[in-house]
Amino acid sequence: MSHTDASHSNSHVQHHFVDSDQQFDSAKLGMWLFLVTEILFFGGLFVAYIVYRAWNPELFTMAATQLDTMMGGINTLVLIGSSLTMALAIRAAQTDNPSASIKYLVSTVVLAFVFMVIKYFEYTHKFEIGILPGEAYTFTGIDHPKAHIFFSIYYMMTGLHGIHVIIGIGIITWLIIKTKKGAFNSSYYTPVEITGLYWHLVDIIWIFLFPLLYLID
Amino acid sequence: MSSHHIIPLKYLFGTAGALLVLTGLTVAVAFIHIPTPFNIIVAIGIAVAKAFCVAAFFMGLYWDKKINTIALLLSVVFFTLMVGVTLLDTMFREKPSDIYYKMPAPPPTTQM
Repeated sequence: MSHTDASHSNSHVQHHFVDSDQQFDSAKLGMWLFLVTEILFFGGLFVAYIVYRAWNPELFTMAATQLDTMMGGINTLVLIGSSLTMALAIRAAQTDNPSASIKYLVSTVVLAFVFMVIKYFEYTHKFEIGILPGEAYTFTGIDHPKAHIFFSIYYMMTGLHGIHVIIGIGIITWLIIKTKKGAFNSSYYTPVEITGLYWHLVDIIWIFLFPLLYLID
Repeated sequence: MSSHHIIPLKYLFGTAGALLVLTGLTVAVAFIHIPTPFNIIVAIGIAVAKAFCVAAFFMGLYWDKKINTIALLLSVVFFTLMVGVTLLDTMFREKPSDIYYKMPAPPPTTQM
């Protein structure tokens, strides 16, 4: 490699990388390693779920009747749709089509907001009837002395997932601004690609939360 | 350049379609009420199939460098380890501990 052939399309390459491809592969592997820590982060909550369900199997089937399968199902479809629009946004960035990329990124943010609005209605309905986490639990509709444990786990798992959706909205909004400024093209679109990886992982977590929380009654 | 693969549109829409079908399936199966150990196995099986579709095609692991797939599979291995080692404790206690209620004082032990 020589310094003379450094063209505009390689201006994003940091000095400690051999070339654009190596920088791209490193960024992607780094993102995957971060996703590994994310899986184990959520993994701790899945362990709590498994342990308490193994101890109180009847509690989980009784308490899950309080969750709205319809709302959870719609949210599953919303997240699948947002994963598709995210993948299409990456494809548009790869093929030098920033206007299409912005369109798909905006669609992804809109779907993420739809998800959070549905989540908001689910949460507020539960708050009104006294289904709150831990000691704040006052609901009397489930005849089980440990009913609050299921909802503590429910709020921790869906709450942490919801925080990830909000963070995703922030990052994708930043991508929209950068794309509008013309930061990405077919030779440099790394931020779009690895944000996509993050967003798809958020989708995968929900794919497990939906049947484990909503569909067990 | 395998890491710069542009995913064909038919794979993106095919994956979204498969995810919609599998979501419908997992809801339908929940309403049939399969006897208890098997309903969990079926629900987890469908969720794993959906996660495979997302990881392989939306996240592009199918065309990607294998090191990224290895990272993902390692997280699954270590998650399984975390579940397994924890259950070795919690499933074999004589009395499950209950952090929300005070435990009665243990009976005095008589030494031989």
